[in-house]
Amino acid sequence: MRLLAGIALLALLAPRHATAQVNRGEEVPDVTRTYALTNTRVVQEPGRIMERATVIVRDGLIAAVGTDVDVPFDAAVIPADSFIVYAGFIDGLSHTGVPEPRERPNRERPDDPGNPPDAEAGIQPDRAIHGLLDPEDKRLAALRNAGFTAVHAVPRGHMLPGTGAIILLTGNSANEMIFQNQTALFAQLNPARRMYPGTDMAVLAKLRQLFREAERRQRFQDLYLTDPTGLERPPYDPVHDALMPVLRQELPVFFHTESALDLHRAISIQSELGFPVVLTGLNQSFDAVDKLQEAGHAMMLSLDLPVIPGQSDSDDDDEAPADSLVAEPTDAAEKLPEIADPGYNVNLRVESLADIAAEKENLEKRRAKEHKKYLANAASLSSAGLEFGFATLGVKPTDLIGNVRLMIENGLSEDAALAALTTTPAEILGVSASMGTVDVGKMANLIVADGPVFEEKSNIKYVFVDGRRFEIEQPKRSNRRGRNSTEQVSPAGSWSFTVSSDEGDVSGTITIDGAADDWAGEISNELTSETVDLANVSLDGNTLEFEFIIPEMGTMSVSVVIDEDTFDGDITIPGMGAMPISGNRTSRPQSNR
Amino acid sequence: MILMKRFIASVCLCVLLICGSYAQTPTGDILLQNATVITVTQGTLEATDVLIEDGIITAVGQNLEAPSDVSIIDATNHFVMPGIIDAHSHIGISNVNESNAPVTAQVSVGDVLNPYSISIYRALAGGVTTSHVMHGSANVIGGQNETIKHRWGVIDPEGLRMAGAPRTIKFALGENPTRVHGRGTNQRPASRMGVEYVLRETFSKAQRYQEEWDKYEQEARTNPRAVSPPYNGQLEIMSDILSGDILINCHSYRADEILMLMDVLEDFGIDQVTFQHVNEGFKIAPELAAFGATASIFADWWAYKFEVYYSTAYNAAILTRNGVLTSINSDSGELNRHLYHEAAKSQKYGGLSDDEALALITINPARQLGIDARVGSIEVGKDGDLAVFDRHPLSIYAVNQYTIVDGIKYFDLEQDTDDMRLAVDPESRIETVVLHEHDDQHLCLHEGELDLYDFLTNN
Repeated sequence: MRLLAGIALLALLAPRHATAQVNRGEEVPDVTRTYALTNTRVVQEPGRIMERATVIVRDGLIAAVGTDVDVPFDAAVIPADSFIVYAGFIDGLSHTGVPEPRERPNRERPDDPGNPPDAEAGIQPDRAIHGLLDPEDKRLAALRNAGFTAVHAVPRGHMLPGTGAIILLTGNSANEMIFQNQTALFAQLNPARRMYPGTDMAVLAKLRQLFREAERRQRFQDLYLTDPTGLERPPYDPVHDALMPVLRQELPVFFHTESALDLHRAISIQSELGFPVVLTGLNQSFDAVDKLQEAGHAMMLSLDLPVIPGQSDSDDDDEAPADSLVAEPTDAAEKLPEIADPGYNVNLRVESLADIAAEKENLEKRRAKEHKKYLANAASLSSAGLEFGFATLGVKPTDLIGNVRLMIENGLSEDAALAALTTTPAEILGVSASMGTVDVGKMANLIVADGPVFEEKSNIKYVFVDGRRFEIEQPKRSNRRGRNSTEQVSPAGSWSFTVSSDEGDVSGTITIDGAADDWAGEISNELTSETVDLANVSLDGNTLEFEFIIPEMGTMSVSVVIDEDTFDGDITIPGMGAMPISGNRTSRPQSNR
Repeated sequence: MILMKRFIASVCLCVLLICGSYAQTPTGDILLQNATVITVTQGTLEATDVLIEDGIITAVGQNLEAPSDVSIIDATNHFVMPGIIDAHSHIGISNVNESNAPVTAQVSVGDVLNPYSISIYRALAGGVTTSHVMHGSANVIGGQNETIKHRWGVIDPEGLRMAGAPRTIKFALGENPTRVHGRGTNQRPASRMGVEYVLRETFSKAQRYQEEWDKYEQEARTNPRAVSPPYNGQLEIMSDILSGDILINCHSYRADEILMLMDVLEDFGIDQVTFQHVNEGFKIAPELAAFGATASIFADWWAYKFEVYYSTAYNAAILTRNGVLTSINSDSGELNRHLYHEAAKSQKYGGLSDDEALALITINPARQLGIDARVGSIEVGKDGDLAVFDRHPLSIYAVNQYTIVDGIKYFDLEQDTDDMRLAVDPESRIETVVLHEHDDQHLCLHEGELDLYDFLTNN
């Protein structure tokens, strides 16, 4: 028996297809579609654990879970006595499967920027994700490697990018990937660029306009369809038509916000227009807990966590504990009410320009304290009795589990974390019957890990999606290298760059030198030939990121993907949003060897 | 007109009031003792107490008794004045201009209030308790404004609103809209004539919109199958202006364009308007008074563009003496911290009395904004919004000590420490902290003229 199992295991470890499709990943040839995970610990759902059990996977479903289960003759047996089996993770919201467009859309400002075509202004509720899905999108496999099996994928765009679908992290075409289509209308406070609606307040006004007029047309249409006597034919356009299922409360709006301000705005416009809603993102929701309790909306909380500049988040342990951050109180302190452990000196009053060092130190402590609020955000929601699923939108797949771990270290219970990745998103998405727990009859979406899944030293060994097994190759543990760490690119050298704006292009040069993990550089533009140092230069795989400061404007952040001697990406300018930047390497540093 | 929509709107308003600001608005009790109380409307009272209970002034007099749980401020040798009202500001909002169209009546800065903005605290430091936060001046008909109270520390944006304050909207004449739309995108208006055309065209559309809805509502009484005309959020707001439900606040400088707007408003039956800036108001003060128009001006700020050269520091006094209800505003996150100095300038230039000068930043802006029943003077029954100075507020040596809103002390000079921010972006850099926040600049054209090319070439 043991020998048999060993042979089966060997067979599974056989060389893999070098040219496997991305979304098929590490899949082995389908010798059998029946698997037996034997003698294992099964976390069926948070708090419900079965020891020394066997899980049988057959034809894409979980055929059996129990301690007294016969292994079918055709099963590939995986002795899992040192493993733990979990339900596959469900991503509550992301653009997974919808690659970022390589080519920028037409950036011409329309002739009448106050009345642009809907699609250009980001008003595309009629757009379905089906035609946008690309099974080659690298994020599909990357997310699966982190334990995800299903994703609620939504289109990219501005205020109303389109409708989403629940997709499985397997399949070679959109048709094979889609589990359920038309799951939600995606909305965000993301204004159009240099056309109406170009501000958050205009996005909100536009939502009012669209919903109120759609409501009118719905009534009109109902009247006309019952009896057209005395009526003109109602007008049709795809945008208003696409909102009608929302007005009929049949299609929820997944409203994405990150800041507390935007969250308040989303809650306000929802209560005004009354559409069914799931709030997503909520990165700063610790500042809106009361309102979230009152509103009672379903939530998909972002797994994104901020990183303090200059601190790589892998060495959080170096951070001093909060208690040691309290500075000595000054005389003014006695007059002020006690504030429980603020983590910094709330009463600091330095003489003007006299003690900048003390002020800076205090500001750093304050920032560290505020940073903690974000790490403890999930815990504060949870302890306020709020349930949420997790969403991976905007988070690097390699950071996901680490961020969950950070949330747990900051007070979130492991059960709540697991629920946010399995049962709660399944419930919010209405797929509890088929996903979210390890129970007979559900889809075989499973994680097999060699230890508790949130522990740092644990590895995910296999992920099953729709009964299909993927063997997970362990990412290199060192620091957070990119997904394609095999091809090591160097950003070093001189680059010429161009930023494309509607007002014309601006060119200049960037010089980068240094070595791995210690990059530095400078940037200048050809119009003023002023040179500014780059800060926070980091290379992750082939993604180069850096920032620089223009005093009047704030911090510009640049993120580009390097492909040999060219790069492409975005520059984000405070108050203006992202603009495309591209570059060519004009020289490489001389080799020392 | 438009009964059904009215009904829906008022239901929405009630929901907002109940779920939003009403529940969010904290109030307090304070007894100020033995102060010189400058009521502005009812003279100046020596050695007088002011009692605020549940956020409302309940007594002004000597040796007042207060329940034991009321906190007491000894204001001996101090001067208490009504909380200052800034009639034109852009603090505490995330957007200023939706500059993509010459008419954007449908947008509202009230939708994007930002209670985290440090400028709100800085305004408190200058004794300002209420700001009329406005859409910018990029468009002929800009967005709706919001009257806020400076409840620093309330993080729900709804909590900033001054519930019940009349609705107002921003208009703009002259160089800003013609530059942004005429020169900027080759749209109307490219000239002052174009500005008038845009106004008349939009008001005419609103009249037609009103007529269509009136006709529909008439028909709906007898015909349950009547279908309403298309909903148009912009013309809804324009209709409300025509009905007198929304007050116009118009950015303007030159006498000719001010006369033009009064002509247009007369033609469309609108009898209320506040002109903002009004640098040439002194030329047409009798005409403004005859129309019943009011003016909100700068004390002595001009010559920052061609249309603002013909100006005088006597503007406040000339307008006041001609019977024009006048206020002095800041339009700035810096100037709002010393509006009492701005008011004092009207004494040097024009010799206004103390009460007349202080009225420019208290009861007069309150009247312009339609909130004078609640704020703008120290009277029993009004909101407990006060500023407490160590000297007479019109003295150049006066320093504000406390600012009180709704009976809560939101500013106390003694407790004004280095870092008063409500939130900090954990990804921000300490070394980028700059003295001037965006709010501190003149923001009328913010987002209207910002562009990458200018920025990269000028920096």
